[in-house]
Amino acid sequence: MLQVNKLNKIYENGTHALKDVSFEVKEGEFLVVIGLSGSGKSTLLRCLNRLVNPSSGEILFDEKNIIELEGGGLRNIRRQIGMIFQHFNLIPRRTVETNVLLGGAAKTGTLKSIFGLYSEKEKQEAKEYINIVGLNGKEKQRADQLSGGQQQRVSIARSLMQKPKLLLADEPVASLDPATSHSVMDYLKKVNEEYGVTVICNLHFLSLVREYATRVIALKDGELVFNGRPDEIDEQWFKEIYGDEAKEVRIQ
Amino acid sequence: MGLRSDYQQSQLKLSGAKLSPLKMKKMFFAFLLDAGLYSYSALVLYKIVIQKMILGERYAEFAWSEPLMALGFGSFLALAMLSTKISIGKYSQSLVELRPDKSNLKQAVPLLGLFHLLMTFIAGLSITQVSVREFLSESGLMGAKRIFTAILNPNWQIFDIALFAAIETIYMAFIATAFALPFAFLLGFVAARNLMNQSPVMLSIYSVIRFFLNVTRSIEPLVWAIIFSVWVGIGPFAGMLALCLHSISSLTKLYSEQIENINEGPIEAMKATGAHPIQIVWFGVVPQIVLPYLSYTIYRWDINVRMATVIGLVGGGGIGTLLMQYQGLAKWNEVGLLVIIIASIVWVMDYASSKIRESLK
Repeated sequence: MLQVNKLNKIYENGTHALKDVSFEVKEGEFLVVIGLSGSGKSTLLRCLNRLVNPSSGEILFDEKNIIELEGGGLRNIRRQIGMIFQHFNLIPRRTVETNVLLGGAAKTGTLKSIFGLYSEKEKQEAKEYINIVGLNGKEKQRADQLSGGQQQRVSIARSLMQKPKLLLADEPVASLDPATSHSVMDYLKKVNEEYGVTVICNLHFLSLVREYATRVIALKDGELVFNGRPDEIDEQWFKEIYGDEAKEVRIQ
Repeated sequence: MGLRSDYQQSQLKLSGAKLSPLKMKKMFFAFLLDAGLYSYSALVLYKIVIQKMILGERYAEFAWSEPLMALGFGSFLALAMLSTKISIGKYSQSLVELRPDKSNLKQAVPLLGLFHLLMTFIAGLSITQVSVREFLSESGLMGAKRIFTAILNPNWQIFDIALFAAIETIYMAFIATAFALPFAFLLGFVAARNLMNQSPVMLSIYSVIRFFLNVTRSIEPLVWAIIFSVWVGIGPFAGMLALCLHSISSLTKLYSEQIENINEGPIEAMKATGAHPIQIVWFGVVPQIVLPYLSYTIYRWDINVRMATVIGLVGGGGIGTLLMQYQGLAKWNEVGLLVIIIASIVWVMDYASSKIRESLK
């Protein structure tokens, strides 16, 4: 469903963040991207929904190149690609329900969303997705007053509201504690397996990678250095990806 | 010992180095600064210390030849001293360093600086006509006593007139703030760099808006009130317009700075859902700025009430105009009442606005 060909990104300050990165993602995969901080993982994910504009290359989403799209065409593609972030990025001072409803803002329409005129159907859907991430009863609470793990679950519900074909997750558990990390990853797995949403996820901990990924790609200094199954990452590959000095940290 | 020899070596290096273009430039600026400072002190020394204080000329005549002579003298002195280490100019261009092993008060550069400062202080005393004799003169103290007794015995008979004028002032300030609000709200987005750096066109609009804001803000409301009182006639409307204009530019600046400091995360999240740009601003930006905006706006109303009083002095209407009228007629008992009313309004506004802003956090 997604085909990336020779993707390059050079920032204005001269940083060459992605160098000829090519890979393919099949429908229903749980693809995990690993690599050191600054290896280009975040840039890669943000290129896929054009939050960052790539310098050159091709991104074929459902066989359509999205690299040149602007305005309405781009928004139409973004509607089909959900995204969750390391710092959750919920709208402050708004309720859980409003935050989830805003996942469908593009479909609701500008004026209706601004005046809060959501249809019964939309409200019903939002309630359903809040239930799915286990936050029933918290609909009317302010989202920024929830705990980190709960906020991340709200953001998963928000992305479900988009009914995405593809879900991008940029370090979804990097600012959470180990126990909460597993719960959030389990919800992502649920979204992937039960709702058939393809997931591309940046992760730090290899133990999580082995548990959740169906396939792994690794970036090093902006280059794709590994593409394979999680159980193929042995000691040697680990040192190749993270450097000779690195030692694996396990998350229980 | 080691410290000292290091220091001497560095001095040797400095003076022994060839006259590179960079050093030439530095020497030139050092000379300019020195010449300026010496000429200034020489002029002060001659005009104020010698002519006014020693010779006691009350109205010393001024001729353009005097500053020119001082300039010549200063340049000569600066040139003569340039090869020595006694030079503030050379210090400012880091051609000379202070010796860390000696007290600052025993070295030439700080002493020279103190001398210029002393000259400035003496000139200041003379120009502002500071006089202990005037301050404590018998007739002066009598006048002060008269005015303080009058002010402390306010004339309550004009209380209703004063109250209506005060109400006029408060409403004038409120309407000025209310009219300024929508303009500042919209301009705030256009004057925020992080929203306007998307394209060169937007960036140039941003620069133009910022320029106009800086110009309108640097002209005091007092001056705007004079302009508008000619335009729409003396009265509260002129004062309101003056306050409104100044409030627009000040609030826009505060608002846009608030926008520049917001967290980009929610904006990214809204973009990623495929939301329309208006939705991105409405949900990604606005929830983060509403409370700070409210707090700034209330603060501005508070400022405007105070300014409205001053603006009344130049014909902006309200209690300021009343104050000016009674002061012109030397009716100090009435002035006393006005002072009490103004002080209490300012106090109440100050207290209320700080309480409201606290509760908004």
